[in-house]
Amino acid sequence: MENMANKVARIPNLVDWSTGEVRLMSAKCNSCGTYFFPKEHYQHRPGCSREGVEEVLLPKKGKLASYTIQHYPCPPPFKTEKKITPYGIGLVEFTDENIQVAGIITDTDLKSLKIGMEMETTTLPMYTNEEKQEVVTWAFRAVQ
Amino acid sequence: MRDVYIVGTGIHPWTGFSEQVFADFAAVAVEGALKDAGVEWQKIQAIMAGIFIYGGNAGHLSGQYLESIFGETGVPVVNVYNACATGSAAIRMAFNSVAAGETDTALAFGADVSPKGFLTAKSDNAVQDRDVIRWKMGGMPNPIYWALECRKRMEKYDTTEEDLALVKVLMSEYGSKNPDARFKKPYSLEEVMNSVYVCDPLRLFEICPVSTGAAAVIITADPELIKKADKPVKINATTMGSAIYGDPTIRISALSCPATPEAPMLSESYSASRQAYEKSGIGPEDIDVLELPDNSSWHYLVYLETCGFCKEGEADKMLRDGETKIGGKLPVNPSGGFSSHGEALSAQAIWQVIECANQLRGRGGERQVEGAKVAMAQTYGLMGNSGTTIMSI
Repeated sequence: MENMANKVARIPNLVDWSTGEVRLMSAKCNSCGTYFFPKEHYQHRPGCSREGVEEVLLPKKGKLASYTIQHYPCPPPFKTEKKITPYGIGLVEFTDENIQVAGIITDTDLKSLKIGMEMETTTLPMYTNEEKQEVVTWAFRAVQ
Repeated sequence: MRDVYIVGTGIHPWTGFSEQVFADFAAVAVEGALKDAGVEWQKIQAIMAGIFIYGGNAGHLSGQYLESIFGETGVPVVNVYNACATGSAAIRMAFNSVAAGETDTALAFGADVSPKGFLTAKSDNAVQDRDVIRWKMGGMPNPIYWALECRKRMEKYDTTEEDLALVKVLMSEYGSKNPDARFKKPYSLEEVMNSVYVCDPLRLFEICPVSTGAAAVIITADPELIKKADKPVKINATTMGSAIYGDPTIRISALSCPATPEAPMLSESYSASRQAYEKSGIGPEDIDVLELPDNSSWHYLVYLETCGFCKEGEADKMLRDGETKIGGKLPVNPSGGFSSHGEALSAQAIWQVIECANQLRGRGGERQVEGAKVAMAQTYGLMGNSGTTIMSI
């Protein structure tokens, strides 16, 4: 279990660590079977009754479906205290949920990235806010 | 529906950031279109305006600002936004108004001034606007999305980094011969391959920047105007498409996409192009010249497939075999493409149509596609926006 104390997501309702594992906050429509992320941005199959949408956490682990390496700093409003460039962005597939989610790749040798490799969800510290909390975003890293 | 023609076109050449206001650029393009058509301003019965999203009230009401410059006449003015397919929407509305007989002559225009600095989120409401999330937490500028798709393509097919560079070589050669292009330097394969990565596998010269530019077309069914026009260009179809559920493409501003496809990639463009083929009775095999949205080298390749010019995974071969060169089986982007122009959001779909019209009217100069009779302009806008226009002479 990671140190989850005094940590806050920069934008709420996207990443959860209350269970002790870092997982993405998705939603699923029980009528058409569509999973979507973020959970506030509804997606349905045409003709769906749109009944029975429930919030679900995606599994911690998925597989890398694609990636890129960003070589210049992302402009504001993105901000990190430490320089993270160059950084990886991965598209991680959660196969049973039929969804791929994009996120920054952290704690991973970027040269080792390979489509199909196993990745896990984690958080990336961005900066410390005025309340001295560590502000984070969701991220992915290679499973050791 | 009656036959509808483009009788006048005007462009303000593409350029970088400017202190000038967008309406000045728009006025140059519209003035050019009126002169080309030999049409008086008072003959314009509807104005379909692409909006300028960074222009505040003026930009959101760009049609009214433009009308005021030339003289207000009380005609319908509609201001429209469909991301980078905004110009397609303006042309489609002008076409539909004239074809249905609501008006005889309509103007479609778009003008954009490159914002100083970077593109970024336009609101601060993450619940409503997921663009906020990708900028604040995702660290994902637009080219990231293209790079993620490009990598998938390279894994699936035999697309190489050399193929990606070759697109720029070709585009820069044509751009160097286009007086309206912003970037006029031709590049060698080596120079492109040595340019820095922006987001691996895409290099600096393989993605298009943001530009300033304006474009306008005059569309008519008025027999007098058609008769006096210099080679009127018939619009066979002009359509728009949105995305289809199950499209596996990760769209700009989205944070997720389906893992298993249930629809074609870039389904908005698949839809727009198929609608155009059906409405016009013209198919990919009939097209003599194509303008496609080469926002990156990946787009150049994938769009040949999306629009049905070859099967999936075959575009690289078309490129390598020279089929997409001027003089080849399907000349692609004789304008030099977005690669040589950069994106001027609300104007770019209109200049693509103008380039096609110029080719059909024999105005291509050094980059003329000989004997071009049928042309197609294809656009792409973020979040599921696309337009296709098929024209003939």
